[in-house]
Amino acid sequence: MGATATKLPKDQLSEYQELTFLSKQEILLAHKRFTELLNRNERQQLSSRVPMDKICALPELKSNPFRKRICHVFSTSDTQDGSISFEDFLDLLSAFSDSATLEIKSHYAFRIFDFDDDGTLDYGDLEKLVNCLTGESTDTRLTSEEMSQLINNILEESDIDKDGTVNLSEFQHVISRSPDFVSSFKIVL
Amino acid sequence: MMRRMSLFPHGGTPLGNLELTRDEIENDTHELVSELVNLPTKARRQAIRALPISFHERRYVRGRVMSLKHSKKNRTLPTCCTDCHQQTSLFFRRFGAGVAAARKRLVIWQDALKEIGGRFGTSVLSYFRFLKWLLVFNIISLLINFCFIAIPQIVHSPNITHTVNFRGLELLTGAGYFNQTVFFYGGYNSNITAAQPPYNMQLAYFFTIAAYLVFCGVSLIYSMAISFQKNFVLVSGPAYSGTWRLLCSWDFSVVNEKAIQNHKNNLAVQLKETLSERLQRKAAASAPASTVLKWLALYLLAWTLCVGLAVGSCAGIYFLQSHQDELVPGISGFTDDLNAEASTLILPVVVSLINLIVPLIFSLVNKMEHYTSPRTNIYIGIARNVLLKISILGILCYYWLSDVPYTVSCWESFVGQSVYRLVLVDFIFCLLGSFFGEFLRNIIGTKCIPSLGVPEFDIATNVLNLIYAQTLAWIGIYFSPLLPIIQVIKLFIIFYLKRVSLSMNCQPPKHTGRAAQMQTVYVALLFFPSFVGALSLVAYTVWSLKPSEQCGPFRGLDTPFRAVHQWIATVREIPGSEWAWWIFEHVLRNELFFYLITLIVLVLTYFLWQVTQGRKQLIRTLREQIVNEGKDKTFLLNRLQSIQKQSRAAAAFSPQEFTERTYFNPNWMNTLPLEM
Repeated sequence: MGATATKLPKDQLSEYQELTFLSKQEILLAHKRFTELLNRNERQQLSSRVPMDKICALPELKSNPFRKRICHVFSTSDTQDGSISFEDFLDLLSAFSDSATLEIKSHYAFRIFDFDDDGTLDYGDLEKLVNCLTGESTDTRLTSEEMSQLINNILEESDIDKDGTVNLSEFQHVISRSPDFVSSFKIVL
Repeated sequence: MMRRMSLFPHGGTPLGNLELTRDEIENDTHELVSELVNLPTKARRQAIRALPISFHERRYVRGRVMSLKHSKKNRTLPTCCTDCHQQTSLFFRRFGAGVAAARKRLVIWQDALKEIGGRFGTSVLSYFRFLKWLLVFNIISLLINFCFIAIPQIVHSPNITHTVNFRGLELLTGAGYFNQTVFFYGGYNSNITAAQPPYNMQLAYFFTIAAYLVFCGVSLIYSMAISFQKNFVLVSGPAYSGTWRLLCSWDFSVVNEKAIQNHKNNLAVQLKETLSERLQRKAAASAPASTVLKWLALYLLAWTLCVGLAVGSCAGIYFLQSHQDELVPGISGFTDDLNAEASTLILPVVVSLINLIVPLIFSLVNKMEHYTSPRTNIYIGIARNVLLKISILGILCYYWLSDVPYTVSCWESFVGQSVYRLVLVDFIFCLLGSFFGEFLRNIIGTKCIPSLGVPEFDIATNVLNLIYAQTLAWIGIYFSPLLPIIQVIKLFIIFYLKRVSLSMNCQPPKHTGRAAQMQTVYVALLFFPSFVGALSLVAYTVWSLKPSEQCGPFRGLDTPFRAVHQWIATVREIPGSEWAWWIFEHVLRNELFFYLITLIVLVLTYFLWQVTQGRKQLIRTLREQIVNEGKDKTFLLNRLQSIQKQSRAAAAFSPQEFTERTYFNPNWMNTLPLEM
């Protein structure tokens, strides 16, 4: 770093502060961490993107089973390759910060869990979600019988309008009844 | 508003697959912007910040809102007043941001907490948060006690004549050298009112302690109500099996590879448990009568055993206390005998030993029993531990308030010293417990008997120990105003010790599901037996016990509360402040007043309860309505699909007409059921 580190312009910083849930220190730290991922030439432009695998290699995300989904959800790349610009990175940290509202957190959680990006959590999404959470190793994996039983339970409990899928508002309703969610949906740099 | 914002289009958002047209997007944005413009500045910032869209789009929305705002403003002439208003609001905003940033820096242990959360998850973190919260309580009490009681006393009469020299043992017993210092009640006197500037020590003492206890009570009730509302009221509902709770409990802040693997395993186990819990519940319901009888007999036996143990330890402590009194006459601090002083440590050691060993027996008993859900198991374990601790403290307090005031000359100091010894010995046992309980257990588990494995961090026991320590600190606050110093140091060291012990010896606990709910239970326990008990003890002392004649600020009074009476009498003589006296005499000392207040509170409670019942009814009705609408929706969709199929089939027979005919039956309205 050192001399090559670019500084954030002041008005830019205040804009970031106004549009995200992050404090000044957090934004500066995020900027520092982000520029470390860029190579020398890219550091000058704010719009440079970091490829997905580099973001996923951050220690905060490295072991997270949802890291690829997180990159996909927060990436604004036109080619859908999951690459992250600095502003996407701020968005990510803002949604996972302490001061973000439950609404924001549940919204992004929904999109992360919606593996096929179709706007609802259906049977396939829930199956993938449970597999992601329990891991792929044979001793923790649920058998298909258990899985269907579990997903039936989930739907019975959260699918209020009984259409076979969980939509965003149903998901948010479920989240509002899971008090542990807010404290655990959190990534700190 | 939020609902519609989430429709704000971007590839992949919900309903993004519906492919809204450009016009619709523009319409949506326009509506959103015009809604945002009408909000006040602060609410607008919050609303824009909370839009679930990408940063780029948020900036776009903000830009449009700003430009609209400016174009509106230009129509009204800018005056000096609005300019000034903007400047001040900007100043306050910056000031607020600065204060918030400074506060974030001041928060202690930020990194340590992050690391613990990263390795062991939120449930273990909650223990450390609880510890930090208690630390804040004690620091506040230390500050106000030091400022309003200790400093005036030191300034006005700095020369304390020590009858005994410092020998070192005092650090453990609190007697001897410390006896006449400001550490204990006996070190204060009431005659500094004569000094210049006048300072009424009696009132200062009374009001400082009262203010601190009121502060504790209010903040406890407040945090308890908040977390109860968040964690219990919202959670309870029909058909809630807790599967979602498990799925949503994934800790995104955990970064440790091993911890994540652990977490995954635990989650798999717990998910399987929720599946089997339903089966078990069915099995328990259909269990034969003989098995149920056997279980009931076991419960009865276990409870008798536990209650018996608690009662037995209480009786032992009471006996030891009275017996010790005969054994060592005149422990009131004026003795030079080292042995006599050391013997005062027997009782605290015995109490701490009971606190250490009996819970272990309880957990053995608990293993014998058979409970259908692990949660009941945990709650019963907690209930038994609380029972033990509270009864021990109860018997100690009974002795202090019923026997001591009539037998010991400076009894408040004596009680203060007893509490001090209990606090200190408890601390030493906590240190030893971490060493032997966790360190040695780890070595045995890894080296000698690998089947035992690495010990889990037992959150419940540790939190209960903290609650016990805090109860002692609250009990001692009147008798030893500077006791919070010890408590602050103790909590500080425990934090670091537990942190080290945790990372060296322990593994994350297996059942972590209900971390937030458990936290509510802990705060409630801290409030109900702990704080209320300590408060009633202090209140009883102040209102009905005669303070000792030889020492302390309240000497010569019937009860400490008399000091307030005297003060009010002097206030009455000041012209123009008769109203204060009138309020005190006719309102605060009147039973009717409290009766009325109680009545009003009861009526309010009943009213609010009725409102809740009404809301519950409303929720049920709304739920049914949602289900009905969902049925309508599926019915309509099915209908639409079948019609489309029909028309497609018809089109397939006459392909030349295909381009001219619509897929859609123009008379589709007629196919709907009549009720629509």
